[in-house]
Amino acid sequence: MRHPTEGVLRRLVDEPAGVADVDRAHVADCPVCLVGLATAREDAAAVDAALRADTDVDVATAWQRLSTAPAAVRRHPAPARARRGASLRRPAVAALAFAVVLTGAGVAAANDWLQIFRTEQIATVSLSPADLVAVPDLTAYGDLEVTGAGDVHEVADAAAAHEQTGLAIPEVGTLPRGLSGEPTYQAIGEVSATFTFSADRAAETAGDLPALPAGLDGAKVRLDAGPGVAEVWTHSTGAPALIVARAVAPTAYSSGVPFATVRDYLLSLPGLPSDLATQLRAFSDDGKTLPLPVPADQVTSSDTEVNGLPATVLSARDKTMAAVVWVDDGVLTAVAGALDTDEVVSIARELR
Amino acid sequence: MSHRGPVRCFTDVDLVRQGRPIAAGAFSSAAVPAERRDGVVASSPPPGPAVRADLEAVFRRDYPRIVAVAARVLGSRDEAEDVAQEVFLSFGRSSVPAGEACGWLSVAAAHTALNHLRTGRRRVAREGAVAEDPVVPDVADAVVTLEERRRVRAALARLPHKQAVALVLRHSGLSYAEVAAAIDMSPGSVGTTVRRAESALRKEMNRHASSD
Repeated sequence: MRHPTEGVLRRLVDEPAGVADVDRAHVADCPVCLVGLATAREDAAAVDAALRADTDVDVATAWQRLSTAPAAVRRHPAPARARRGASLRRPAVAALAFAVVLTGAGVAAANDWLQIFRTEQIATVSLSPADLVAVPDLTAYGDLEVTGAGDVHEVADAAAAHEQTGLAIPEVGTLPRGLSGEPTYQAIGEVSATFTFSADRAAETAGDLPALPAGLDGAKVRLDAGPGVAEVWTHSTGAPALIVARAVAPTAYSSGVPFATVRDYLLSLPGLPSDLATQLRAFSDDGKTLPLPVPADQVTSSDTEVNGLPATVLSARDKTMAAVVWVDDGVLTAVAGALDTDEVVSIARELR
Repeated sequence: MSHRGPVRCFTDVDLVRQGRPIAAGAFSSAAVPAERRDGVVASSPPPGPAVRADLEAVFRRDYPRIVAVAARVLGSRDEAEDVAQEVFLSFGRSSVPAGEACGWLSVAAAHTALNHLRTGRRRVAREGAVAEDPVVPDVADAVVTLEERRRVRAALARLPHKQAVALVLRHSGLSYAEVAAAIDMSPGSVGTTVRRAESALRKEMNRHASSD
């Protein structure tokens, strides 16, 4: 048959579901088309990277500007409150915090905490940069309090790491070529994040709120994660070359109202792309799957197995790094490095 | 790719239905898509203080993504915010159905930003300020130099308008079907159009890279 057009190859790059089966089958077996597909993919990635720009905006300030512009638009005064916590200012961080708190975390603290989620596996949620800036900053809807054993700190050796974290410290079977010697060990204690929904705060942010479910104002969602340990091998340049990390995976609890009520209400507020909201809802429904937000423009994900457990492989589109992540009985392990995916999976499978 | 992101802001929206096809050159830099209500074509929103009641809600929901569309064209958040403000002002005086707002705004932002890029309606000392615009740090950015960004945008300004709009909308996360509806093109030809635009931009990047 004739080769598919360059437009079909282009669509295969990022919307393969829109390409006819017959074309997909052809491309898979056609060396000429595979070269064309690779070129299309490279061009798309390069252009995407070149066009990317910072778009972290302050919507409240922007609204004030619009509503006070000549020839505008004053309906009612705009809130000018600075509402973004510095630690959550970066959109990626905000997105992560949002997903993490939504899907929950830890050990039960008070008796009225109801477990709503315990990580048993991981699935990725693809985010575009546009989504990252669109995800609401949780501090705009309530108070986010992070407590726990703070900073990552270096510990002397594997024995010390085990003593501090209680975790079995993974041992790497065979180091990839070019790496040798002992890693450095870093540990972090248990961290807990509690989000308290505030109707007043949300109203300041979102304007006219959807009807507030009973008991939601003041309801809390708590996420516990950790402790954790990381083993880091570095290149002679000082750049990390291989990281093996293990941590107690997140568990979530709610108090006041059912977790689903908090989640669904937050998801109904302005700012969250509808597809992302749907994905988050689906992921949290089973109470087991931790959604891992990854920037879809930079990272691809696929499934594999590590010693009989489902695992998620992440790979930078420019092939500069790869990682594999899995969860075993509530403990999350990740192997990441400036390696290809086969290498990280191989290291993961040989961990002792 | 960012295009895989679930922006999908105007699924089931037929922008063409709102008026003449929103195609190349449909806007001046300050103008927005024409509307057709009950068969009457209006080339611009009616003047006057009448502002739609849902403007604030739509603004708060869509402003970041509309800035992101314009920023892909202009490379500067500040300039992109200028464009977004311009577009929302026009939207505020329009009667575009609320469910179609995001798509309408995206197209308007792409057109307006491209017009700014082409006509040189850009801030003074723009190129010098590029370095002050932090980009989302990532591996890819490390290999895209400021000079490459400048060249890509210069090349973007020289592309056929429709190609440039298709490219920007796709890289802003709109699906092929959404891009097709927005610029009155068959979904099958969106891939070809975007591919040609990317090929031209990449050629520009490589040409300079090899001559450096």
